[in-house]
Amino acid sequence: MYKKVHIHDKRDNVAVALEDLKPGDKIKVNRNGAELEIEVKQEIPFGHKVALERIQRGGEVIKYGETIGVATEDIAEGEHVHIHNLRSLKYS
Amino acid sequence: MEDVEILAYRRDDGSVGVRNHVALIAVDHAGAVVVEGVAKLLRGVEAVSHQYGRLQFGEDLELTFETLIGVGCNPNVAAAVVVGIEPNWTTKIAEEIAKRSKKPVESVWVIGQGTISAIEETAKKARELVSYATEIQREPCKLSELVIGVKCGASDTTSGIAANPVIGRVGEWFVDLGGTFIFGETTELAGGEHIVASRFESDEEREKFLKVFNDYIEFAKSKGADILGSQPTQENIAGGLTTIEEKALGNIQKVPNRPIKGVLRPAERPKGKGVWFMDTSSSAQEQVTLLAAAGAAIHLFSTGKGNTVGNQIVPVVKITGNPITAKQMRDNIDVDVSGITMGEISLDEGAKKVYDFTVKVANGKLTAAEILRHDNFTITRLYPSM
Repeated sequence: MYKKVHIHDKRDNVAVALEDLKPGDKIKVNRNGAELEIEVKQEIPFGHKVALERIQRGGEVIKYGETIGVATEDIAEGEHVHIHNLRSLKYS
Repeated sequence: MEDVEILAYRRDDGSVGVRNHVALIAVDHAGAVVVEGVAKLLRGVEAVSHQYGRLQFGEDLELTFETLIGVGCNPNVAAAVVVGIEPNWTTKIAEEIAKRSKKPVESVWVIGQGTISAIEETAKKARELVSYATEIQREPCKLSELVIGVKCGASDTTSGIAANPVIGRVGEWFVDLGGTFIFGETTELAGGEHIVASRFESDEEREKFLKVFNDYIEFAKSKGADILGSQPTQENIAGGLTTIEEKALGNIQKVPNRPIKGVLRPAERPKGKGVWFMDTSSSAQEQVTLLAAAGAAIHLFSTGKGNTVGNQIVPVVKITGNPITAKQMRDNIDVDVSGITMGEISLDEGAKKVYDFTVKVANGKLTAAEILRHDNFTITRLYPSM
């Protein structure tokens, strides 16, 4: 049984958890026309973001098809993306 | 999406309305007492009441005038009585409504006769106008002939997931059919202003937008408020929002992703079809009022925690993506799109629900805020009176 997440735009590299996610949970996402299964690596509460692919330190985090900031460390697929590894590009 | 036929009111100035009110418009505190009194006596009237309108000057006075004139000209209004303390400003507003909208407009002032006599005079004039207005029939119009406004309030995580993107999608359908759509909330765009700026059709309007935005940020700073530095809030972060860009993008989802025609001054009417930005406060009742003054016939309002705002002249459609709010505040909510938040329905399915409800409202169905009489007409003040 896959856990529910929401992807706003096909360019996004993060998804929003629609329920609390735990390590080992599986999510299924459509990426570039292909169905991918991703294993959740960390606890990710409802409304928080999960990485859909590896994002290198300095790489852009994309949500709603737009850049919402850059990764401050390498983020692995399935990891929680939040204030500990993502910072604003505009005001910081 | 199909440009559905609606039964609505075609006004002499070419605008299309979905309600047929006789508006009793107060110029000031003295007029407020009169219009509220008359509203208790007659059927078919709406009191547009407030306590300002004295010793205002300059731009602030102009905005109060434009708000009162604009509400009188709103296509949901069939006729109006303007009531103030004295004849000068009262007749100025009444004449301007009549000139711009070609509607029957009467004026009444309190000085020289007293409040009770003014109530009688207003009631007699309004009685004739209700008789006139109720003879006007709804006639076939297209949904795309309307002006629709948008705002979000008491937002939470679900606003960016469901309610805002749903309104954005409905707005895209509506604008692609030739509709006119207004958004505002200057401060709520902070962090995403570069994205909004990039959507303007002309460089001139883009520059105008950035100036309006930057001027407000500086104004807030001069009053000790750091709009950019204070976002996202601790509550936002707990809800999963990380950066100011992300929060702004959640708000911007309710704006159709289409070219933006231009910048409107507060209460200014759009100068054509398409998407328009108006420089407004992010306070719900102020923003809804300014868009009403600009001719919005329907207002789409997304809420997470459950803002209850309404307006006497414009039906406000309340949309939530929060399943708890949908349940707890069922009386206040018109469309529940929490199925998107729960992963049960698609964005397009949610948008269809909102679109269908909007069509019903255009045909006369009352919104929750109308039934509950959330008559939150509020004037935006730019600075103190003399």
